[in-house]
Formats: sequence, C-alpha cells, structure tokens
Amino acid sequence: MMRPRWRKIFHDLIDNKMRTLLVVFSIAVGVFSIGVIAGTYVIISNDMSASYAANQPMNVELRTGSFDSTLVDTLQNLRTVQAAEGRRVFNLRVRIPGNKLWTTFDLVAIQDYSNIEINLLRPLQGSSIPASKQVLLEKKALENLNVPIGSELEFQLANGTLKKMTVAGIVQDQTSGAGDFLAPPLAFISMDTLKYLAQPESFNRMYVILAQNGDDPSYLNELAANLKDKVEKNNVVVYRTRTARSDRHPMASIVEAVIGILGAMGVLILFLSSSLIANTLSALLNQHKRHIGVMKLVGGSQGQVFGMYIVLILAFGLIALLLAVPLGGQGAYALSAFIADKLNFNLTGYRIVPFALLIQVVIGLAVPLLVGLLPVLNGSRVTVQRALSNDLTQDTGTKREVSPRPESAFEKFRQRLMAGLARRGIHLPRPLLISLRNTFRRKGRLALTLFTLTMGGAIFIAVFNVQFSLNQYIEQIGKYFIADVTLDFDTPYRLKDVELAGLRVPGVQAVEGWAYASAEVFNNDHTAAGNVTILAPPVESRLVEPILVSGRWLQPGDERAIAVSESILGLFPDLKPGDNLHLKINGKEADWIVVGLFQFVNQEGTIAYGTYEYISRLTHMANRSFSFRVVTTDHSPEYQQAISEELDAYYRSQGFHLREARTGLSTLKTASESLNILVIFLLIMAVLTALVGSMGLAGSMSMNVLERTREIGIMRSIGAGNRAITSMVIVEGVLIGSISWLIGVLVSFPITYMLSSIISVAIFQSPIPVHFTFEGFGMWLLLVLALSVVASLLPARNAARLTIREVLAYE
Amino acid sequence: MRPTMVTSAASQDIPLDSLQGMIQMRQVIKTFKNAAGEFRVLKGLNLSIKGGEFVAIVGKSGSGKSTLLNMITGIDFPTSGQVIVNGVDIHKMNESQRALWRGRNLGIVFQFFQLLPMLSLLENVMLPMDYVEMYDFDQRPKRAMELLKIVGLEKQANKLPVAVSTGQQQSAAIARALATDPPIIVADEPTGNLDSRSASYIIDLFDQLVHQGKTIAMVTHDPSLTERTSRTIVISDGELIDETLAHALPLLKHHQMLEATRLLEHLSFQPNTNIIHKDTHVDYFYMITSGEVEVVLCGKKKRDVSVARLSAGQFFGEVELLRGGKSIACVRAAPEGPVELVALPRQQFISLLGESPLTADTIAYLVQQRIEENRSADRRSRRWFGKEVDSE
Repeated sequence: MMRPRWRKIFHDLIDNKMRTLLVVFSIAVGVFSIGVIAGTYVIISNDMSASYAANQPMNVELRTGSFDSTLVDTLQNLRTVQAAEGRRVFNLRVRIPGNKLWTTFDLVAIQDYSNIEINLLRPLQGSSIPASKQVLLEKKALENLNVPIGSELEFQLANGTLKKMTVAGIVQDQTSGAGDFLAPPLAFISMDTLKYLAQPESFNRMYVILAQNGDDPSYLNELAANLKDKVEKNNVVVYRTRTARSDRHPMASIVEAVIGILGAMGVLILFLSSSLIANTLSALLNQHKRHIGVMKLVGGSQGQVFGMYIVLILAFGLIALLLAVPLGGQGAYALSAFIADKLNFNLTGYRIVPFALLIQVVIGLAVPLLVGLLPVLNGSRVTVQRALSNDLTQDTGTKREVSPRPESAFEKFRQRLMAGLARRGIHLPRPLLISLRNTFRRKGRLALTLFTLTMGGAIFIAVFNVQFSLNQYIEQIGKYFIADVTLDFDTPYRLKDVELAGLRVPGVQAVEGWAYASAEVFNNDHTAAGNVTILAPPVESRLVEPILVSGRWLQPGDERAIAVSESILGLFPDLKPGDNLHLKINGKEADWIVVGLFQFVNQEGTIAYGTYEYISRLTHMANRSFSFRVVTTDHSPEYQQAISEELDAYYRSQGFHLREARTGLSTLKTASESLNILVIFLLIMAVLTALVGSMGLAGSMSMNVLERTREIGIMRSIGAGNRAITSMVIVEGVLIGSISWLIGVLVSFPITYMLSSIISVAIFQSPIPVHFTFEGFGMWLLLVLALSVVASLLPARNAARLTIREVLAYE
Repeated sequence: MRPTMVTSAASQDIPLDSLQGMIQMRQVIKTFKNAAGEFRVLKGLNLSIKGGEFVAIVGKSGSGKSTLLNMITGIDFPTSGQVIVNGVDIHKMNESQRALWRGRNLGIVFQFFQLLPMLSLLENVMLPMDYVEMYDFDQRPKRAMELLKIVGLEKQANKLPVAVSTGQQQSAAIARALATDPPIIVADEPTGNLDSRSASYIIDLFDQLVHQGKTIAMVTHDPSLTERTSRTIVISDGELIDETLAHALPLLKHHQMLEATRLLEHLSFQPNTNIIHKDTHVDYFYMITSGEVEVVLCGKKKRDVSVARLSAGQFFGEVELLRGGKSIACVRAAPEGPVELVALPRQQFISLLGESPLTADTIAYLVQQRIEENRSADRRSRRWFGKEVDSE
C-alpha cells in the first residue's frame, strides 16, 4: 500500500489538473525547444556534410570556352587530380507547351551517365540516363515546373526556334544551389542532344576532384590556379574558377550560424520556461503552506517535507519529459528535413539523437529542481504556527496586524503622487487603480513574467528589423543591378547595333554594353591567392550605385584600376585603397591599383568593377559585348517583365542571337526569397518565445486571481459586477503586456544589432547596416495586447465566476 | 387555568402578512450537502426587521447566524423560501446583478475589515461609488473624505490600510459601508478584532447611524453590545428563539430557549380583558411581547387597586407557579391598548427552572420581591379599604 505521504504527492499531481498541466507545460516547452535545436544541430551537422561528401562534390570548377575530352584526359592524368570530368552547361528558356510562362533552366550535358565520378546524380524517379531528346529534371526544378515523367517540355533556342524534349526522370544533384543562391534549376541531357539544341558538341565546364588535401582552402586555391593555367595553355579561355571543400557543404557555415542563433533562442526559451516553473512552484508552495503546517504538526520533519516536494517536482519533470522528448525528436527531424529540403541534401533517416536525449533529460529534471529548490526550501521551513495561522500572505487582506507598519518608500511615493494629482482635481477611477497597483504587488512574479514577455517581444521585433535590414541591404545590392532589363547574347555584338535596335522599342531610354573578365589574384610571393570576376560598365554608367566602404568609385581615365568588393579582405586583410593587386587577365599579368572597396553579397565570390573602356580593350572586345543593360521609362516589376518580353521578341526578330532577356528585379527577388527562409526560421522561434511569454502571463494572472479570491469577494460585496471583476483582471494583463512592450522596444535594439551581425556575417561575411522598421514594433504591440487579453481571459472568467460565498466563507 | 384567547402557537406559524419591514425572510430553509449527507442549517426561518432598527444577531458558533447573514446580504442563497430586502427578492437576481444591487442597498462591515490593501483609505471608500456609479465622478473624493471625517480618519485618508491601526481600519470599513448611502448596514462581528475603546467607538457610530434612519443588523458575540441594540435575535440550531422569551429569561442556555420557544403559545388580549382572575389556578408563565398589563387587587365591593404595571419583556404568573395555590391578584390588559403575550405551560416552566439553576435563582429572587411588593400593597389596601380586603 502506498504510504500516505506519497499518496498526498500523487493527489497533488492529479487533483489540480490545471496546475499540473501548467507546470508540466512550462517544463515541456523548454525541453522541447532544446530537444528540437540540439537534435537538429546534430542531425544537420552530421548529415549535411556527409550527404554532400557522399555525392563526390567537385573541388574545382572552371567555366571555360569549348574543349573536348582530350583536355579532360590531360587533367585526369595529373598526379594531383583524382578525377576530372567535362560537361557542357548552358541555359535555355523552357515552358510547358501551350503555357505562356517561361522559366530558365541550366542544361547540363554529361558524356557518360553510367560512369559519373563528380557531382553524382541520385535517381529519384523514372530513368537516370536520358536518351537523345530526353531530359532529366533536378528535384529543385520541379518547384518551377511541376511536370510528371513522360511529359514534354518546350525549349527555346537562341535563334527563337522551339524544341521539345521528354522528361525521362527526376534526379537530385546535391551540389546544385550549394553556394549559389542565384543559380537556376538544372536539367540534364545527353551529349547526343546537344546538336538537337544547336549547341556545339563540346564541353565548357571542367569539374575536378583533387587527389589529396581537398579540404585545405589554400591548397585548393593553389591547385585551381595551376589547373586554370593548364587549361589556358591548351588555348581554352577560363572565365571563372570556383573552389569548394569536399568535406563541407558550402552552406554549412550559414546553416550552423542559423542553428547557433536558434540554439541561443532555445536557451532563452529554457530560461523563460524556468522562470515560469519558478513562478508556478512558488505559488504551489504558497498554497500548500497549510498542508505543510499540518504535516509538521503530526511529526513530519523539514527533511521529509522537503523530500516530498522534491519528488513532486521530479514527477512534474518526468511527465514533461514523456511529452517533450518524443515531440522534440520528431520536431528535430522535421526541422532538419525542412532545412535539408531547402538546401537540397538528404538526411540519413530518422533517429534518436543520444546527445539531444541526454540534454533533454538533464534539463527536464535539473532545471525544475534548480528553480524549485528555493521555494521548496522556504516552504518546508515554514513554522507550524505561521502555516496554520491566517498570516500566510502579505496582501490577502486577512492579515491581523496588532500595530500598523510604516508604509514603504514606494508606497509613500505612490500615495504622495496620488494626493498631488487629487489636489489638482485628477482622480483615476479606483477599478483602474486596483489593476495598476495589483500589477506591482508581486514584484518578483511581475519581473519573471515581464522577462519572458519582454524577451519574446524583443526577439520578435528584432527579427522584423533584421528582415528589414536584409531587404534594405538586398535593395542596396540591387544598386549594382539597376538596369530594368539585362540582355545576354550568345555572340558579341557591336554596342551601337544593339543600342540602336533597342532604342527602337518604345519605352527604352538607354542601352549599355558591359565587359567582363576573370582575373587571377596573386600573393606577393606570386602564389595564387584566388579569383576575381571583373564587371566593367562604361565609366559614366549610372546603373551602379556602389556602397563604398573606403576609397572612391571609378573615374574617367582610370586604367588598370578596379574597385573591389570587401570580400577581398579575406585574401588580403590589410588591403586599402591606393594599394596594388597583382592580377592576371587573359594571360597578361600586371599590377592593378585598387581605388576603392565596396560592399557586396560575398556569396558570389569576389567581384571587382573596372571601366568598360579599359577592360574591353584588354579582352579584345572594344566596342563590343555579350551583355547589355537596358534602362526603361518605367521601373515597376510589371513593366520590366513586359518590356523584357518585348525586347526578347524584337532582338530575335532582328536576327540577334539573344540568349536571355531578364528583368533587373528577378535577381533581387530570388536573393530575398532565399533570405526569407532564414527569417521564417527566426520568426518561428520568436513566435514560440512570445507564446511562452504569454503562457507565463496566463500563469501569473491565474496565480494572482487565485491569491486574490478574497479581495474579489470583497469587491463583489461592495457592488462589483462581473464586468468590473473581469475588466480588472484583463486590464492588469494588458498593463503587464504594455510594460513588456515598452521594455521590449528598448531591448530589441541591442538584439537587432546582435542578430543582424550574426546572420549577415554568416551570409555576407561582413556585418550589414542595421535598419529599423515600425512594422515589428507595431505588430508586436498589437500581438502582445491581443496575447495579454487572451492570457487574462481565462483567469478573468474564473475570477468572475467565483461566488462571494466561496471567497468570503464566514465560518 | 388555560388562556382563552390563543391566537397562534409556535413562532414558525406567524402569518406572512405580519412580516413587514426592511428585511423579510419567509420560510427560509438552507440545506448543505456533503459526503456525509444533507445538513439543514436554517430550518424555515421567518424574520422581519423594520427600518431604523438596530438588531443584534447572536448565537453560538455553528448556530447558523452567519448563514442567516449571508442570506440577507445575498452572499448565499436559500434552498427554499424568500428573502426580501428593501422590497427586492434578492435571490431572483444573478450574481452580477446582485453585486450591483448590494453595492447600492447594503453596506457590509466585516470582522477582518477587508479593506483592499492596495488602495488608500480614501480610495477604499470611493470604490463602491465607482462600482455602482453613484455620485458624480468629481464628487466622490469629497464624499469619501466627509465619511472619513465622520469616522475620525480625515488625517489618515491617504494612508494605506497597513499603515493604520485595526480600529482605524474598521472605522474606514464603516465609512466604506456608508459610501453609497445604503439604507441597510450589515455587520459581521464588527468589533471582534478591536480593543474595548475602539469597539465602543464603533458602536457609537452605529448608534448615530440608527438615529439617522439606517437599519443595522449586526452579528455579535459580545453581550455588552446587545444591550445597546434595539432588538436581539437569537438563533440556535438553525431556528430563531422567541425574542420575548430570550429577553425575559436571558440566563437560559440557547438550546433551552429553543426548546421553550417550540412550546410557546401566542396570546392576544383586548384592552381591559382579564388574563388571570383572582383566586384561580395559574398554569402558564406569561411573557409580554407588546402592550402592557396591570396587576390589580380586585375588591368585591370597592374599586380595584392597581399594584403594578408590566410592559413588553416583563412576565407574570411566576409567583403562583412557584409557590402553588391560587392567584392573589388579577392581571388584565391595560386599558390603553391590546397586549400580546407568549405563554409557557407550567410543566415546561418548572422543568426549565430545574435545568437552569441560575434562572431559577433569579426567578426565586423576583418572586420574593414581588411578594414583598404585594404585601406592602396589601397593607396599603387594608388601610384604604378596611377589613374586607384583609379577610381575603
């Protein structure tokens, strides 16, 4: 038979179900959050890079002019190379036949599908080897064109002709999109199909896996430069070089940073939930003082009483664990799957993460014990006399005081303030005064409640600010892409020809030709340091509004001069305007002066701006270009879309080999959408924090009502109706909500700076300027007011339902 | 001799029509249920308190006096019966309506003061006016201050309850009870937690309020307070004790009073009607509820001589019951108006005295006194009327 004292604990657990639920839920929220985050962290950090590495990702990618398998064999035979593979990558517009909407795919032609050694394709559905005139779609492509296997797609060639191909299967290329937010979706074809699509049957991409040290960034750069040299010596132009470690997903640092932030929030939620637990437990102990008095009266020692309540807390913790551990495991896997899906890698399957489980168990048991220790200790120390007298609380109105106590300084100040107001004829309605003063009666409880709500609010506001800052930043970055339409041609055209043709289209104001060059940067000791892509608009171009960090922008007459994006500091930390960089462009080495440093999205690697006038001569493309920027009279996205289609049609009709006409904003849109994924994560956590906060408020309000039942009875006895009682409780809740909003506003500023810095460093490798938006402040105000009302409604309803008989029992 | 003009028997049978006043309870029954079964706390109470009365409600712990008070304040509801306060059947309202009604019609003073600790004394007094929306918003502070002045707390008005003495807290609670100028004040042991000086001050305040026309119902344990009220209602085991009996035989225990109450007969006599004839056996102990009686030495030939006049609360018949024999004088309703009596049968009266030695001693002492008085009256009468009286 169960001993009476354990039976009491059992009854304490089951008799007051609402209270048990509140405590269990408070613990479970923290355990769940930590479980999700710890689980996700372990799953993602193991699976992301493992899955990426299993895909045999390339170490070096060279974007080149055409070459054939001889060059591939040459590289393959190098001692430093484990595998080399040539592919042809080009983009085409594609649509479902009959559909008006075009989308752009990168088509990848692979020589031998049965023998792929680099960037492996994982078959998902249908065939994994496309026959002639067949296409395999990469999983991500389905987001743009969701077509079943066997259906036909229509591709538009540069000359405007339409070619149909059948979808043979769906595959996954985990390296697609890795490291490049802006890359279009992939579709795979066989080399036989190239002719059908009017493409040369040669390669233009070289993928290499190094024989060793594929994880060493400096060795990678060095080898990439060697390979580039090798390729160029074979009379193949290298437009761009990209390197990637094989042991680490290119997005790993970003994801880890985001999980890190989530982790910080998890710890915060844990903090908040523990304050909730502390609040509830001290209220419980307060209610139980009479029980404790009776137990001590009949011989219970302080140690026994202490032990009983510790067991009660452990029981709360265990129930919470039973709830939160399975949910946390599921949550971790769901979050990991979401991230994996977004970043296109695979998880190795659902599993229990022992590390996360251990953390959850420790937290689920230790945190309640820790925060409950003081209330339990205080509760178990209560004397029988005190416990059994009415004199348990300071403010229930039942206190029998023989002599009056002096008012505290705060009370005196309050009374003087009210008297001062009264002298001026200002009297606040007493029901409002009651709510106001009730708010500050349990200062410890108020502080904990405010802490929870404030942190939730501050993070909520900060997330909005960070999102706004990111968008502002993207908009700033957009100033490098001001053109309304960008035209890319398959062959270079004379500037004048393209300009004259373009100006014939109504709405076109100006057409600019830009030059491009790929440069290799050298260290002082002439070892290769990295690659820089140089964009070269006309020096007077207004289509670039750079965010200069130091130095100046390009001026007329600048020769061998570049402005470089900040990411160059990763290679040359001490570089400043006026310094020289040793560059090799088109096989020619020279010192270039750096006139300024500007801010840019670093994901795309280091970019630099030079003048069209100089670079075009250097690349033997004077007065000609592949790429043009068009400025139109209207800059709205709709107009840009319309005129890009018009220009597309017009240039093709005039016999230009136009590859693509795309709107200026489409780049930006893709970039912001990628960032929005991050923001959604953060927002989920912020809302979770806010929910914990409002739970805390609801708990506090319930405890307040419980403690003030007698006062509510008194109010009823002097004329307070349901409305008066309900509004008293709700006004108190709303007051707490409003105070938390005010403090939250203040706290949101440092949190915004911190969050923005962590995220921007993870994404852009440098902090971005912080901007504040009223949206977050306003939305949180509305939300916190609504949450406060909702959180107070139930306690208020309970308060209004208390009959005066229940609270003012006479005998 | 058995009285001839019995109009009613037990108190519970009083016709409802006669129950008129500020507070009326009609056949109020209150039953509580718990695991042990049903427990009837009020057993069909009828009570009427008139406007301007200062009523003390007394009873032992558990007698039902607080339940009775809860019925009047609407804090609790009867299982059956009606409670009409100031003309309103209060249990026909819902809790919220009742709260508002209570705020306007009842001022409640609690034993533990029950001031709201977060409000100053002044604000506590203003609160009921806020709840029931009485007086202009700007007038409320002025009125509250006037009330505090009446209870002598104007200097403490802006202090919190914890900063003043318990006596001052109770004074403030009375000021709060008066805030909405309710016609009725209900007080539950208002002096229970006060020293005698503070208690006396509070009762003085109540006296003043009664003089101003308020009706006050007060539960108390303190016999010194019942002396200052205009009426005392004694409740025992959920039933009201006959007030005349309680007044006439205050030294009986409550359960004895209750037993006796159940056996009382209610009588009514017109002016000048004889209640006890000379030389007859007396079988009842008579207690006067209202009106007056004359004790008369009846002469056969000459005029009757009135030897005593007894009024409400006094009793007669005890001399004959204790000493045996026939009545030595007539007792009749005074000529000014009818008289209401309650009468306890001889057997029960004798056995009551047997159970209550204190009462027996007091009555014996009174009998002795009355016999002395009769003797001296007899001597006077002999001087006036000669042998005729003497021969009797």
